[in-house]
Amino acid sequence: MSNYILKYSRDDRVKYISHLDFVRMFHRAARRAELPFVFSQGFNPHPVMTVAQPLSVGVTSDGEYMKVGFDGEFSPQDLTDRLNAALPPGFKILSARKVEGKEIDLTKIDRAEYWVKVEYEGSIDAQDIADFLNEPRLIVMKKSKSGVKESDIRPYIYKLDLTGSDEKTAAFSMTLAVGSVYNLKPESVIDAMEKYIDGFKPEFFAVHRKSLLCGDVDYL
Amino acid sequence: MTIALKDKILSKVTKPTRYTGGELNAVIKDPASVDVRFGFCFADTYEIAMSHLGLKILYHTLNDRPDTYCERVFAPWTDMEEQMKERGMKLFALESGDEVTRFDILGFTMQYELSYSNIVNMLMLADIPVRARDRDESYPIVCGGGPCAYNAEPVADIFDFFMLGEGEELIHEVTDEYIKWKKSGKKNKKDYLEAIAKIEGVYVPSFYDVEYNADGTIKSITPNNPNSPAKIRKRIMKDFDKTYAPETIIVPFGEVVHDRVMLELMRGCLRGCRFCQAGYIYRPLRERKSDTLLSLADKLLSCSGYDEISLSSLSTSDFSGLRDLTDGLLDITEKKKIGLSLPSLRIDNFSLELMEKVQKVRKSGITFAPEAGTQRLRDVINKNITEENIVRSTALLFSGGWTNVKLYFMIGLPTETAEDVEGIADLAHKVLDTYYAIPKEERAKQVNITVSTSSFVPKPFTAFQWEPMNTRDMLIEKQNMLKGAIRSKKIKYNWHDNKTSYLEGVFARGDRRLCEVIIRAVEKGCKFDGWDEHFKFDTWLEAFDELGVDPDFYCTRARDYDEILPWEHIDVGVTKKFLIRESEKARAGETTPNCREKCAGCGANSFGTGVCYE
Repeated sequence: MSNYILKYSRDDRVKYISHLDFVRMFHRAARRAELPFVFSQGFNPHPVMTVAQPLSVGVTSDGEYMKVGFDGEFSPQDLTDRLNAALPPGFKILSARKVEGKEIDLTKIDRAEYWVKVEYEGSIDAQDIADFLNEPRLIVMKKSKSGVKESDIRPYIYKLDLTGSDEKTAAFSMTLAVGSVYNLKPESVIDAMEKYIDGFKPEFFAVHRKSLLCGDVDYL
Repeated sequence: MTIALKDKILSKVTKPTRYTGGELNAVIKDPASVDVRFGFCFADTYEIAMSHLGLKILYHTLNDRPDTYCERVFAPWTDMEEQMKERGMKLFALESGDEVTRFDILGFTMQYELSYSNIVNMLMLADIPVRARDRDESYPIVCGGGPCAYNAEPVADIFDFFMLGEGEELIHEVTDEYIKWKKSGKKNKKDYLEAIAKIEGVYVPSFYDVEYNADGTIKSITPNNPNSPAKIRKRIMKDFDKTYAPETIIVPFGEVVHDRVMLELMRGCLRGCRFCQAGYIYRPLRERKSDTLLSLADKLLSCSGYDEISLSSLSTSDFSGLRDLTDGLLDITEKKKIGLSLPSLRIDNFSLELMEKVQKVRKSGITFAPEAGTQRLRDVINKNITEENIVRSTALLFSGGWTNVKLYFMIGLPTETAEDVEGIADLAHKVLDTYYAIPKEERAKQVNITVSTSSFVPKPFTAFQWEPMNTRDMLIEKQNMLKGAIRSKKIKYNWHDNKTSYLEGVFARGDRRLCEVIIRAVEKGCKFDGWDEHFKFDTWLEAFDELGVDPDFYCTRARDYDEILPWEHIDVGVTKKFLIRESEKARAGETTPNCREKCAGCGANSFGTGVCYE
């Protein structure tokens, strides 16, 4: 058995597919590609796969990762081509790499870079963002397993820039914590901006995940 | 990265992939490159629509034409409908996302009566006039097909035409005529309807006048157009083995009801159960060859990546090549680690052996449909299954390790007495005794028997089409009687709400005077009547009342053989003479052998094919 890390993208056409549906979609693609996946034991055998930091519904990405196991070895190019031929439009394997042992550990991914476009009323500029980031604490209501409670998100915003704006929409780039220690979603940051930046009224927003990082390192 | 209107809507609804399209094997075309934009409409949710085999067949056969773009159009769930209305979005097609308001043809598949309200609601959401007479040439032609088209009178004013019977050829013929009409400038809708009225299987309701007697029964049904035949005969595919079957299948992202490859073994049924509309309207029985099916199975599994395949037919055990087929399928499924499900099997040694092979690990439940509780009543309905069959089969199952047995019955069948209702409980107890008769060490633990009853709804083109349906009070009394007769905690009783059955009973044998009631009910908020959480029985009763229509007239009234029925002008092959004979035999408690044992002379041999000529 050999393990591969796959980096892949999901575009607008497939952004509403939930994590469970994504996994099932990939099982079917694996069957179509006739790749000798390592199958789980049990009544409904399916290819063993691990997805790093599942993407929220409605979010596009070109920096997702998963790990899969095969019986046999393939060149990364062959693997990429065969899977891309089998995936529904909107998904794309960007690159693949065979991994030995723990040299790449998807569980160590701890941050994600997002591009966020926000429709808003009022105003926003770079100074607002600088002041926002200078707040000692940014308290928002955050959902967790035990219910909704207050949380200080400031330590988990690693980077936040206003990358463009016109009268109606503002674009941001933000690098935020993901993973089991703390998972910060872009919508919580927008909630905080609404609360702490006077005169900024965000409405609808769209999120794109640019990359998943382990510290500063993008694996592939 | 843009923010589209659809995103604002989809971020607020459940299961957004119902509305996005883009699934594997969905067909995408350039609308500018085709003559016909065809909306294939299913008046229910995505999950139900995408489980329907007819849609898969007609979608692909239409899209195989370079001149036609067939897209799917489904009923949005209520949360989506609210968002659409709030944001001014009209009913749209899944493939292109385009509004269907100016499509060329909208074709509804009419699978069950309780979807009529959704058909009307979909037209309203599309901003298309609901009544056919109010739609000029700029609107789509609205047509319908499927089992409810055999008596489509309750929605006759809504549709431009219906297609009776199997659509694989017919749908191409009406599309060809549409293109001719469109290219000639689409001057008058009537020209198109006259052209297709000549095609066998096409029913244009506006070309027939219906007159009524003082007592409300029908006096006459007469063609009012020289192009329309006095009787409209259904279409069937004569050589079913060679009939078009798609070699590709759309693979949904979200889970749907039948989320697997479906292999259609046969059409029609040779059993002749007297309550069963499907058993009569799809006659004669025709089969595909095992080799054809195996090759199809291979292609469909390869193109979809599905890990399950199911056999589709009205009675799998009657398929003459079953052993060859299952041997061949097991070769494929074992190699590819694919699950095989075998619905509609009769339980005998062969099928048990088969189930052992298929279900290596999990012994899930087995369902029997005795339909009636006593042998007398089973003879009345011509359900040729005996108590001995059931007891022997369940003994085999229990010894084989199965522990969940489901038993399906109907209550309210013609001639039913208290003894028949109590007979349901007796039969369930006998099945339970069969389990206890097996020595403890040889049987699995925890036996569960589930008894389910539905309310019998008399349907057109059956031996019971003249019978009164039981009133709701009678049905409730029988349900309570049965509840009281079940004494063991190992037997669970599920029953079906009889309010929906009542409405189904009204529409099943309804006539044109119901059209306005349906439209009124939808205006008052009725939709998704098949869904308990949306069914508004009181609102329906108000609509009947406001329009002065008595629903009992259609539902609980007995008809004479010489009454002109609303579907008198429709010819399904099975003759009225035969149905009267079957009705009389039912009253006498006499059974009729199946088509392979002895031809009963039903009339379906006039199609010149199938089991009639084996």
